Amino acid sequence: MAVTVGGGASAGAGATLPDWFTSKKKNPSNLIVARWVPIALVGLPVLTLLAIVIYPTIWMFYHAFQDTNMMRLFQHNWSFVGFENFKTVLSSARFGDSVWHLVLYLTFGTGLEVVLAVILALTLYEVVKNSLLRVILLVLIVLPMMLPPSIVGVLWKFMLTPSNGAVNHALLNMGLISTPVEWFNAGVSLWSIIIADVWNWTALPLLIIYSGRVSLPPAVYEAARVDGAGGWMVMRRITLPMLKEVIAIAFIVRFMDAFKFVDLVYVMTSGGPAQTSELPAYIAFQRGIREFAIGEAAAYAIVIFACSAVIITLFLKYLKKVLKAQAIA
Amino acid sequence: MARLEVKGLCKGWDFPVLDGLDLTVEEGEFFVVVGPSGIGKTTLLRLVAGLETADAGSIIVGGRDVTRIPPYKRNVAMTFESYALYPHMTVFKNIASPLVARKTDSAEIDKRVSEVASLLQIDQLLDRKPGEISGGQKQRCALGRTLVANPDVFLLDEPISHLDAKIRHELREQFHTLDALRKVATLYVTHDYSEALSLGDRIGVMGSGGLVQTGSPRELFEKPGDLFVARNLGQPTINIIETKIAGKKLESPGASFKLSAKQQNLLNGHKSGEISLGIRPQNVRILQGDEKPGRGHQAFKGSVDIFDALGAHSIIIVDIGGTMITALGSPDAMYEYGQEVTVAVETGSFHLFDTKTGKVL
Repeated sequence: MAVTVGGGASAGAGATLPDWFTSKKKNPSNLIVARWVPIALVGLPVLTLLAIVIYPTIWMFYHAFQDTNMMRLFQHNWSFVGFENFKTVLSSARFGDSVWHLVLYLTFGTGLEVVLAVILALTLYEVVKNSLLRVILLVLIVLPMMLPPSIVGVLWKFMLTPSNGAVNHALLNMGLISTPVEWFNAGVSLWSIIIADVWNWTALPLLIIYSGRVSLPPAVYEAARVDGAGGWMVMRRITLPMLKEVIAIAFIVRFMDAFKFVDLVYVMTSGGPAQTSELPAYIAFQRGIREFAIGEAAAYAIVIFACSAVIITLFLKYLKKVLKAQAIA
Repeated sequence: MARLEVKGLCKGWDFPVLDGLDLTVEEGEFFVVVGPSGIGKTTLLRLVAGLETADAGSIIVGGRDVTRIPPYKRNVAMTFESYALYPHMTVFKNIASPLVARKTDSAEIDKRVSEVASLLQIDQLLDRKPGEISGGQKQRCALGRTLVANPDVFLLDEPISHLDAKIRHELREQFHTLDALRKVATLYVTHDYSEALSLGDRIGVMGSGGLVQTGSPRELFEKPGDLFVARNLGQPTINIIETKIAGKKLESPGASFKLSAKQQNLLNGHKSGEISLGIRPQNVRILQGDEKPGRGHQAFKGSVDIFDALGAHSIIIVDIGGTMITALGSPDAMYEYGQEVTVAVETGSFHLFDTKTGKVL
């Protein structure tokens, strides 16, 4: 059947649409594939997500308001307690301490990682001009990141052993210290974790920042040379401002990791001694998985999630504004 | 303000790009280098700017040899093909950047940037970032950045080739009227012959290794020194017909061209007898109806092979017994494929080249 279209803006009056276009049965042999393949492709991941992410999340939100523990869970005998779990979490000194530890970790761990990454990435790009050497150095820097955190934890635990660890041995031999540092004493153990973490994870922001530097347009640097800007001025006025967003993204990635940082704490110090190296996520893990205070652990998880979500949303909003002004996003 | 001299400039990577290039741009002169892509035009600019180091030869700005000194001490300014604006800075800061790099005080910067901005009509855009302005405005901003520094030499690398036709025309006008550009030595690089013809006080046509011919636009167009220059200047491309000397004529398959006494003298004693005959399409026209060829014209019968109506004029390629010849037609006459026509060729306008060497006779 041919249909006549009258007076359209693009198709002139009396233009005729072809039959294949107006027909309802378009290529019927492929219909089953065309209809079901997309549904299957999207559906399977959605089901998986429902099973391993959405359902547990809803479960967690539910139990955050119940007095669930191991015993009650198996007896199906839990009851609604309102915000009781949240009160417990927010009023506990243990949580307050862990937040302070998190602030220290973010400032000196994550912060140091990003600063080191900027310095190393730019040095690698600007100073090392031999491309083979550059690749070799890059691989060496990335190596620690390829190790599983549990191994990194064990490794650093050995290296930092006060009596005969490699680090104390080296420091003593170089004459930097006269008595061995007690790396796992109260007040020091958090710093031991931070050292191991910086060693483990600096490569990630470094890779992000390095690739950001590689993709900056070379013509801009030539313009700067003709303008007469010196090395430091180029770094300060061109490279760093242009890398600002990339650095911010590298920071966000590590920032989010900090809120779920459990592995090294667990392997190296188990939060000790006397809970002096605990981070919020570790307490949630400890309370939920080790001590089966499921309701309280769920409340911990929600508090941590809420904090990180709020901070990161604000951060991304700012970032989007900056990117928009530069017509990148 | 000073003149720019380039003497015996050589540069190569895995093959030689510039081989003993000589060039002088006088103070106040607008010199256009035109040539096909990949021939080394941008390399020449980068060498003068100091972004590359010359393998041999010297670059002299205002009597001072700058071959071995870094870019910012040469007092040259360059615009880049890709504009190379700083994306994180406003238009104001972009234009001000050469002054900031030279530690000019801020009152002076304000004054000079606003002067340049109003000259280029971008004074409303000073607070925007490059991502928020159009291509033509970006180009003006880039131009502003070079103008503000008061350099001795301007280097402009295809500054308007990526813009759409209308803005290109507008900016081309602006190049004509900017006094600032008329006071210093300007070296302008383009692959667009019409840009070259319209802008240049002098033009240098670049072939492989260096400049093939330099001269005023008119000179180059009317007296091309060799086949390369003839082929590269002019649109549509000049007709080059391979011929052999036959007495007082030049023979090509299917056509023979009569020569004047003056032209015959040029051919006296030519050894191989192989001549490339150049005829501009402007000097070939199609006769209408019973029209007879005028004085100094020779007529050929042929059939239309390709007809291209371009609005203001049309291009007709006519097959005259096996030899193809391009003619420029008036806008009102229409032709069909295979139509029998008579073309009149202005014999006085022949360009005669030696086929072997490519040089003009």
